[in-house]
Amino acid sequence: MIRRLLRTPQGAIGVVLLALVALACVFGPALAPRDPEALDFLGRFHPPGAGHWLGADQLGRDVLSRLLVGARTTVPLALLATLLGTLSGAVLGTLSAYLGGRWDEAIMRTVDAVMAVPGLLLALLIASTLGKSGGNAMIAVAVAFVPGMTRVTRSVALAARRQDYVAAAIARGEGGAWIVLREMLPNVAAPVVIETTIRVSFAVMLFATLSFLGLGAQPPSSEWGLMVAEARRFLHQAPWMIAAPGGAIALTAIGFNLLGDGLRDALNPRDER
Amino acid sequence: MILQIDDYSLDYATRAGPRRVLDGVSLSIAAGEVLGLVGESGSGKTSLAWAIMRALPGNARESGGAIRLAGQDLRGLGGAALRAIRGKRIGMVFQDPATSLNPTLTLGRQLTEVLERHQGLSRADAWRAGTCLLARVELRDPAAMMRRYPHEVSGGEKQRVVIATAFACRPELILFDEPTTALDVITGARILDLFARLRRETGVAGLYISHDLSLVARVADRVAVLEQGRIVEEAPPARLFTAPRDAYTRRLITAVPHPDRRLVEDAPGGAALLDLRGITVRYGRAGLFARRRPAAVRGVSLEVRAGEILGLVGESGSGKSSIARAATGLAAFQGSLALDGRPVAAMDRAYRRAVQIVFQHPDSSLNPRHSVAQLLARPLRLYGGDLAEIPRLLEQVRLPADYARRYPHQLSGGEKQRVAIARAFAARPRLVICDEITAALDVSVQAAVIELLLELRRAHGTAYLFITHDLNLVRQIVHRIAVMRAGELVDLLPAAALPTARTHPYTRELMDACPAPIG
Amino acid sequence: MSARWLLRRLLLIGYTLLVVSLLVFAITQVLPADAAVTLLGENATPDALAAVRVQLGLNDPVWLQYAHWLGGLLHGDFGTSMRSGQPVLPVMLTALSRSLLLAVLSIGLMLAVAVPLGVLAALRRGGAIDLLAGLVAYLGVSLPEFVTATLLLILFADMLHWLPATGYVPLAENPADSLRHLVLPVVTVSLILVAHVSRMMRSETIDVLHSDYARAARLKGLSPATVLFRHVLRNALLPVVTIVALDVGYLLGGIIVVEEIFAIPGIGRQLIVAIQNRDLPSIQAGALVMAATYAVANFLADVAYAVLDRRIRYD
Repeated sequence: MIRRLLRTPQGAIGVVLLALVALACVFGPALAPRDPEALDFLGRFHPPGAGHWLGADQLGRDVLSRLLVGARTTVPLALLATLLGTLSGAVLGTLSAYLGGRWDEAIMRTVDAVMAVPGLLLALLIASTLGKSGGNAMIAVAVAFVPGMTRVTRSVALAARRQDYVAAAIARGEGGAWIVLREMLPNVAAPVVIETTIRVSFAVMLFATLSFLGLGAQPPSSEWGLMVAEARRFLHQAPWMIAAPGGAIALTAIGFNLLGDGLRDALNPRDER
Repeated sequence: MILQIDDYSLDYATRAGPRRVLDGVSLSIAAGEVLGLVGESGSGKTSLAWAIMRALPGNARESGGAIRLAGQDLRGLGGAALRAIRGKRIGMVFQDPATSLNPTLTLGRQLTEVLERHQGLSRADAWRAGTCLLARVELRDPAAMMRRYPHEVSGGEKQRVVIATAFACRPELILFDEPTTALDVITGARILDLFARLRRETGVAGLYISHDLSLVARVADRVAVLEQGRIVEEAPPARLFTAPRDAYTRRLITAVPHPDRRLVEDAPGGAALLDLRGITVRYGRAGLFARRRPAAVRGVSLEVRAGEILGLVGESGSGKSSIARAATGLAAFQGSLALDGRPVAAMDRAYRRAVQIVFQHPDSSLNPRHSVAQLLARPLRLYGGDLAEIPRLLEQVRLPADYARRYPHQLSGGEKQRVAIARAFAARPRLVICDEITAALDVSVQAAVIELLLELRRAHGTAYLFITHDLNLVRQIVHRIAVMRAGELVDLLPAAALPTARTHPYTRELMDACPAPIG
Repeated sequence: MSARWLLRRLLLIGYTLLVVSLLVFAITQVLPADAAVTLLGENATPDALAAVRVQLGLNDPVWLQYAHWLGGLLHGDFGTSMRSGQPVLPVMLTALSRSLLLAVLSIGLMLAVAVPLGVLAALRRGGAIDLLAGLVAYLGVSLPEFVTATLLLILFADMLHWLPATGYVPLAENPADSLRHLVLPVVTVSLILVAHVSRMMRSETIDVLHSDYARAARLKGLSPATVLFRHVLRNALLPVVTIVALDVGYLLGGIIVVEEIFAIPGIGRQLIVAIQNRDLPSIQAGALVMAATYAVANFLADVAYAVLDRRIRYD
């Protein structure tokens, strides 16, 4: 499975990018060349170069060190938010497809209605209600993902439901649990895992956007979206202050997108490689 | 010669190296002559059509030979020269009219664009000419037909429009790629009649490609048999059927179902095994915004006797599959079921074990994520049985025991269907419902699967409800035939009585539409 | 398109707005903001606060408050802003009109870029344009709007001085200047949509190019251009209509960020301000107006689809 994933170019690049991100998440503080909190008045706006590989910010803090430490406050939360949102959406979507008929109609029309509120707005409303913090932003992102994932899971589950192997199981007299867990789930899981992987990149971006708008992580955290927000005031003096966290967000998002595309190829059971 | 192919070879470049598709093919078609090209899937017959049309996929490599249209080698022609030939000198009729017509253009537009392109007609003139062409293919109200969209007309009408398009510019040659395969039997037979008439009128030459030997024998002057890219035999149909020279041809001919060649001789006893009484099946429900669909099956009663093979015949939409779905608890129905004379109130384990079903498409009916062993273990666990029986189950359907470790995508179509049959027999059933189980298979594979079913019946005394659209096949193997049309049972009679009995006119029409093969 | 279908579709819009109103009300009810305090200020006497609470119905059960609020909505009364005391609906609709200009221009630019890009990528698979389109797609879906916007600002406003950095000029006042101010916001919002729609367009075009009817058209001797424009494009564009309508959700989300960065007084900015001020009636009205915009856009897309595709009979 992993070998098949690495054989696709997207999968290989994605895995490498995400391995770097994971390294930063686990060993970020240890890898940081300097103390991310250390103020250095003389080193303010130090351009990238020896001493500060990615430059220094308005307080003389090392941007690379802040970035490495900030990975922890960005990526794991985005992952957790996606998992929470996906799981709830997957359960709701499968339930809707399984119940069918009027229940399915009612659930899906309501999900469609909730989708009329843009994800970012929904996240903003929830984050502002719960109060500004990274944890609350995570819940907000998770909730914003539920309607979309419900739709995806339902359509995949319905496609599996229509297959004759499910009909064969029903005709055989299998119980509901077997049909859902053993016949349908393995066939539903692959597309849902792919969709989830790609959605992590949305979560990373949504999360950073919330922080950027002041409703996610709060200073002095070095969450990447927050770093961009703080750096905006100094974009004339120190464009690297924006480029570094912006690039980190983009690379992480690209990593998850590539991994998702790679998985799409690798998880296809009919594809002989 | 209109078409002359000399020693033509073709390979497809694949990851595993070049794969030979056509190997030294030579054939010729004279003016006014129709050559039938018969082959099973993978024989390369469709690739040959693409080669003639110069529309091969990107990984095709031609390694030699010539394809000449009236002496001119098509292989050397460039884009513009080819476009002047396609649609004008060579017409083509495709397999599935539902997909070969553009859904967003009117039928008229798709017909007139050939006339505008090749005959330089103005839009208005082309429209008038097109209307005449539609009248010639016996479409009622051609003027209205011109303005319709493909989804607004039936499959047979669509195919007539495609044929009108192919004949529009009076081509020298027409390629037919399985033009009746996607159609119902009676509709297909009428299309063949139309083709015969147009052929007499225009004197066009044709290459008729099909997997169906008996069908090709009806339309072609000569028949060429293609096996794995090689033409193994070429002869007039009568000679081919009576005195085939090649071993493969002989196998193919014996595999073609023939109603007079009965494969089942016994006459099972009269006790009813499964009794269906007044079955009505409806799909969907009336909602606030949806009208209720008409019933798929209306008040059908029939019984399957112990050890009997009952054939259930009908065209698509006749409700024959809905009967299978009702009898296996896959569709809600009104009416009653009785097993061994005892009413079936709820489908309990004993009933489900006794009545098994095999579906048409093994790709769909075998879960792609379960291994063969897992697939076969299920009925053994559910109805009692020893997992050690799995090798024996496989052997019973003539598959090697080590197939247990394989997954469905590693098997061929016929092998998959054998696994599905083994799964049904793992339950030691009294009745197996076979829903078009050979429709997706090649003739030779179909013959082997049928032979297997009959052998299993001899060993276990199992009864079959054999659902199919192929009347010739059914007449070979069943004891009684039930004919359905538009949700109703129109005939139920012993197979032996079919040729002489007074039957419903529809049954007669079905029989006329699929005459017995020559020989 | 039957009357029955239209009726059903309109009822769905009604249901959408009902669900959204319930959702928005539920979320905003949990907001730790006491409307009475917001109205009277921190130094108000407890008696005055109590009186205002009775007046606002804050002591009623939650469902009764919702019923009152919903009843007001149905009469066009969305309440008054807790900050300015102005009715909120006109404020939000004015803001929406400014956002709509941005949205329509973004969709226009997106279609103008994404459709040809997707088709060209499909026609020359693996070619230079295909690789470029793939790169644009990955960048588009991986760069958050606030990063794109900031990078564009640095490049075109700060370094090159080609375009104004921020601000909004009404179209009626000075069309040229208005559009100059909108260039960067429009490009920012379109990028993510271009990424998504060009991929869709590419895969749809590839599917249609491989369809039986496209092959049949080629085998009629039609020229490649005729096949492309008459047979392929129309069918490839159909599913994209639906995708674009669903993308209106992303678009509106993007607009919130972009209006904040470029200081455009549209509905997104109003919403952010309302959220920062905990101005409940404004938040509720803004969210409902946005949801209604999305619902109407999807309705229009469905109608367009029905007109373009004769196969689908809505009944």
